[in-house]
Amino acid sequence: MKLLFDLPERESKIAAERLKQDRIIYCTPFDLNSEGKLTDGWVAITATRALFMENGSVTHDINIREGTDYKSVSMVGNGILEAKINGEFMILARYTMKHVPRYAYIARILSDLSRDLPVTVKSTSDEGVCPNCNRILPQGTRVCPSCINKAAVARKLLSFIKPYRLVFVAAILMFWLITGLQMLVPYLNRIMIDDYLMPMKKDLKGFLLIIALITLCQLLITALVIIRGRLMTSLGGKLSMDLRATVYTKIQLLSLNFHNKRKTGDLMSRVTGDTDRIKNFFQNQMISTINYLFIFVGTCTLLFMSNWRLALLILVPIPVVATLHRLIWKKIRLMYHGQWKAWDKAYSVLQDILSGIRVVKSFGQEEKEIARFKNASRALADITKRNEKAWNTLFPALNFLMGAGQYLVMFYGSRLVLGRYMQLGELVQFVSYTQMLYGPLNLLTFIPRWFAEAMTSAERIFEIIDEEPDVRDHKNAVRHKIKGHVEFRNVTFGYQSHEPVLRDVNLDVKPGEMIGLVGHSGAGKSTLINLIMRLYDVDEGQILIDGIDIRDIAQQDLRSQIGVVLQETFLFSGTILENIRYSKPDATLEEVIVAAKIANAHDFIIKFPDGYDTKVGENGHTLSGGERQRIAIARAILHNPRILILDEATASLDTEVEQQIQEALGRLTKNRTTFAIAHRLSTLKNADRLVVIEKGKIAEVGSHDELLRKKGIYYRLVMAQRQMTKLKEAEGL
Amino acid sequence: MGDSSQKQLLEFTTVTYLDPEKSKFSRTPGGFLSLVTEDGREYPRVNLHRAFPFTQTNEFISVRDPEGNEIGIIRSLYDFPREVIKLLEEEMNRRYFAPVITKIYSLKEEFGYTYWDVQTDAGHCRFTARSGSSSFIFITDVRILVVDVDGNRFEIPDFRELDEKSRKKLEILL
Repeated sequence: MKLLFDLPERESKIAAERLKQDRIIYCTPFDLNSEGKLTDGWVAITATRALFMENGSVTHDINIREGTDYKSVSMVGNGILEAKINGEFMILARYTMKHVPRYAYIARILSDLSRDLPVTVKSTSDEGVCPNCNRILPQGTRVCPSCINKAAVARKLLSFIKPYRLVFVAAILMFWLITGLQMLVPYLNRIMIDDYLMPMKKDLKGFLLIIALITLCQLLITALVIIRGRLMTSLGGKLSMDLRATVYTKIQLLSLNFHNKRKTGDLMSRVTGDTDRIKNFFQNQMISTINYLFIFVGTCTLLFMSNWRLALLILVPIPVVATLHRLIWKKIRLMYHGQWKAWDKAYSVLQDILSGIRVVKSFGQEEKEIARFKNASRALADITKRNEKAWNTLFPALNFLMGAGQYLVMFYGSRLVLGRYMQLGELVQFVSYTQMLYGPLNLLTFIPRWFAEAMTSAERIFEIIDEEPDVRDHKNAVRHKIKGHVEFRNVTFGYQSHEPVLRDVNLDVKPGEMIGLVGHSGAGKSTLINLIMRLYDVDEGQILIDGIDIRDIAQQDLRSQIGVVLQETFLFSGTILENIRYSKPDATLEEVIVAAKIANAHDFIIKFPDGYDTKVGENGHTLSGGERQRIAIARAILHNPRILILDEATASLDTEVEQQIQEALGRLTKNRTTFAIAHRLSTLKNADRLVVIEKGKIAEVGSHDELLRKKGIYYRLVMAQRQMTKLKEAEGL
Repeated sequence: MGDSSQKQLLEFTTVTYLDPEKSKFSRTPGGFLSLVTEDGREYPRVNLHRAFPFTQTNEFISVRDPEGNEIGIIRSLYDFPREVIKLLEEEMNRRYFAPVITKIYSLKEEFGYTYWDVQTDAGHCRFTARSGSSSFIFITDVRILVVDVDGNRFEIPDFRELDEKSRKKLEILL
């Protein structure tokens, strides 16, 4: 984020006057005045002072040390920078949402300066807008969709074609051949008319020869078109498969941070939709385009060579017809856009009702929902009807328009023939060429759009392929057999670096120790665990495993030795056996059964009619929360991790099932360094030490009894939970 | 049930409405809002949250302390004396900032984004919003809320009231 802008001249003068020789270390704009009107505001910050200006006059000039509680508060649609100056809360600046993250940094800077702490925040040029055209860049990318260099993307795409260049060259050759043959046919027609039919020559041999030639040409064209189609289809298919595989591989390798920034749907559409669009481009659109270009060049040359006047006559209406065509298509597109939107609405109403059908039925709202869908459906029917009518009017009109040029040629050509300036066959040849020229004219208007769409799709794919993972293995990353000693040293981390979630965390965990993490939701417990797995890299400080910084251990190696059991267990589509084996595909059946036994899962699995071969996941057997959890534990046991992470592993279970799972977990955690998060504090009774996290910091550390005696945060949490349990019991009575 | 739990339950189910006569709102020197309630509790700083920001802008306004605890609810703004109404309106205009679009100079849709160039009651504005229904929200049949990529909000109270040219430009999204 840019935090050091250049002051405009007017403000620069004021600053020089007020701040004298002090060096401005941060300087940022803001854009709202206190009345909520857009304004030209600036703040200039030196080591001791902060000067706020609006439209060229000073609004605040503060001594930073006289203030405390600097804060950027985000409200609805705007934000304010506030501070307590000499005991009074004040609004220093107001801005639109664009500046909210910027002023979060400024607030942190001011707060550090006021306490004489060293300021570490750096100004960067990364602003999330395209430096070229100032458009906002789509989230998480540095590629401006408007400024992408289409030629460069096309070149990149060509590098994917390279392995298939022979096929590609062959296809281009076919294009030449086909076009050539297509142009030959009208020529042969002409010879037939002029040399045989018109003179009424009874040369059966020559006549048959011509017919045979025409037939042969058509036959060849047909054969070549078939081969070309097959070639291009296989090329498009292979290319899109290559692209899909490359994108997918990259998606798997990218850090979790990347996935958090993007929606699953967006990634899915890139892997499937965009690669498909490129395939279509190669399979259909590119063929039409190249084909038409060849025909255009070919016919034009021939036409001009034989009669340039007539040729001009044919070409003149083309721009007019193309323009008209474009206008009509624009209208049609708008029409269909509306139809698509109505369809989308009806569809989402339907989806809404069907997925909520239990709620609809239990509240007896069927009538209302029927009416709601009927309305959406009627709206869709109306707009479809209107569009179809318009289409059926426009399309024939369009067709007539396309033929208009031909009538001109026929008129002028017939006169030439009647005046004996031209032969009939020549005219027929001309008319055929005109038809070849005008026929695909409608395609001409689509070509730029096809190309742009295909290139945008390609760019969206390359954007992922070119993305660098945030969490990277460095060159000398080692493989390390983990013993289980984990140490946090001055760890500070935030998902967005201006808002640290964990601050200066220090913790030393002995091998085999079980640590219970306690704290309110949002305190930073899950973040701590994400850092151990190195799903993110720490901002400051380091995490050591057996004395080695985890950034020096190969990621794959590190994670293969960490086991995780989450609150919501995700089971893949497949059998129970496959799911348990997921972490260790080569495990023997004996091992799987032993793991399931330790996890208290063996008995219920055996009770299923299909035993370990029971299908689970989508379209499979539905398992209860407790059953899924035990399968996840079996999976973790088979994995035999050195470090175990239990993130709310028993939160969604009832007490009885929890007992069984606790048992299983007890066996699992033995002799393993374990980090367990639980809201229900009773589940942490086996923990050697409890760590209470409060607002990103470690607030208390100790055993259950020690912390109770301390009467601090943990004590209050325990008391609150006991109260809750009592309340529940009271309600139950 | 014990006494304490009964009290808790009561706390959860009662809505405290602020008495328009006895609640004293005032502006602090720093520009914030302070409140003294009828039972004499003093709050040097309070924030206002609309319960129904789209449908009931001036009713059911929750008054909260900076920690987010509810002090009480203003049932209707118009029950208060005129100068207090002004004070509260100012405060709410600060929290809820949504310039009203009065004229559309240009509106383009490409690459999954809509690019706007508009005149608003807060001044001339250019902004970018995501395409799709999450950024272009019909609050009623005629009232539209546009949310840009940064989270800024812009309102069109009734799109039929816009001038002909602006309405034409809006058509691609309707």
